[in-house]
Amino acid sequence: MCEEIVLKANESRDIVIVNEPNVRLRISQEEGSQLRLHIIDWQSADNDVHIEQVASNCVTEIYQVAYLKDNQKVTTHTNVRHLVGGGVSKQVLRFVLSEHAKGDFLGTLYIAKDAQKSCAEQSNRNLLLDDTATMRTRPQLEIYADDVQATHGATTGQLDENALFYMQQRGISRQAAERMLIVAFLSEAIETIRNEEQKEKLLNTIDSIL
Amino acid sequence: MKLLEIKNLHASVAGKQILKGINLTINAGEVHAIMGPNGAGKSTLSAVITGHPMYEVSEGEILLNGKDLLSMNPEERAREGVFLSFQYPAEIPGVSMVNFMRTALNEKRKYHNLPQLSATEFLRLMREKKAMLAMGDKFANRAVNEGFSGGEKKKNEIFQMAMLQPVLQILDETDSGLDIDALRIVADGVNKLKSQDNASIVITHYQRLLDYIVPDFVHVLADGKIVETGTKDLALYLEEKGYVAYN
Repeated sequence: MCEEIVLKANESRDIVIVNEPNVRLRISQEEGSQLRLHIIDWQSADNDVHIEQVASNCVTEIYQVAYLKDNQKVTTHTNVRHLVGGGVSKQVLRFVLSEHAKGDFLGTLYIAKDAQKSCAEQSNRNLLLDDTATMRTRPQLEIYADDVQATHGATTGQLDENALFYMQQRGISRQAAERMLIVAFLSEAIETIRNEEQKEKLLNTIDSIL
Repeated sequence: MKLLEIKNLHASVAGKQILKGINLTINAGEVHAIMGPNGAGKSTLSAVITGHPMYEVSEGEILLNGKDLLSMNPEERAREGVFLSFQYPAEIPGVSMVNFMRTALNEKRKYHNLPQLSATEFLRLMREKKAMLAMGDKFANRAVNEGFSGGEKKKNEIFQMAMLQPVLQILDETDSGLDIDALRIVADGVNKLKSQDNASIVITHYQRLLDYIVPDFVHVLADGKIVETGTKDLALYLEEKGYVAYN
């Protein structure tokens, strides 16, 4: 899909994209507009999302979930640009990879010189379920204003062995315990889907493909 | 009736020999305390009984009601009725207590060819056990141990024990990090769960917990072996004299 979208003043829009192989989004946000974007992939995909806050008090939320195996690859580039101050952006990206799957995240965050009082948050956490999967993550922050709040974090790791043993000690099979941890890990990004029906459907689908 | 038999148990972790020939028989209805200096192998013993993958058994056997525990994976041992109250319970973000407990209970029931509990039956059981341990209402919806205080974590261990009704409960340093009120609540819970069909192993450094959970036998574990066995008076003696004699 390839789209250019303008969010009018105070407009609120939710977009949920599931398994689109090629995403090109250009979104421009006007005064006080709110965007909540979910990109959910369990097939290979190339995502490129460019979002500009061109007026103040905008809210931009991006949630990405990728569950990949068997040589699948997801590349996600987000470019969030605070051109005017007083806006909020939040990015939550979760990749779970196994069996030679590859994940690649480039997160560009730009805060212009006059975009004071911007608040930006970027969190990318990744789980590698075996030794063959790879994840590349590159947070890229360009901040030219001096009165802003910007946080970012990227971690890549394995399932928590302590938690797995704890669950097994309560009688939960290793396999079921792994599933529960993966679902919990991905849920954080999916729970924010406002359409309950769509959310339940996605959670069930993800549960069934694990 | 013999509930647990440990015979000539040798075990190591990361190539280091920790247990060097443990022999221990526990009958149904009994409480056994295991005391000993740091590094004696107390926590290793509980890890080996529960099947922690880091520990390797080189010799000996462990039987629970006559069944060979060492041939089972950790979840099978749990379903057979082995329960460990962890010294450091794991935090599991994103997994609610309700979901966790229901899964654990139903997997155990499936193993014993019992029908799954209905939602109503399950919630009734949770309410009952929560009340027994004076636990708050909100706790069921929280993620497992996430953000729990030390005392809440230990109470949660006993709560899970009450839910799962094990035949062998191992309390590994359950008293550590507990203030006196929490200690009393936890010990009360353990005492209420005591029956003629189950048994407890209480691992502790200090005599204090044994004022509340009174043991039938006290064993001293030192350098990977049980070097002395007595009654609760032995714990009092150790409290006074320390472990110097065993080092």
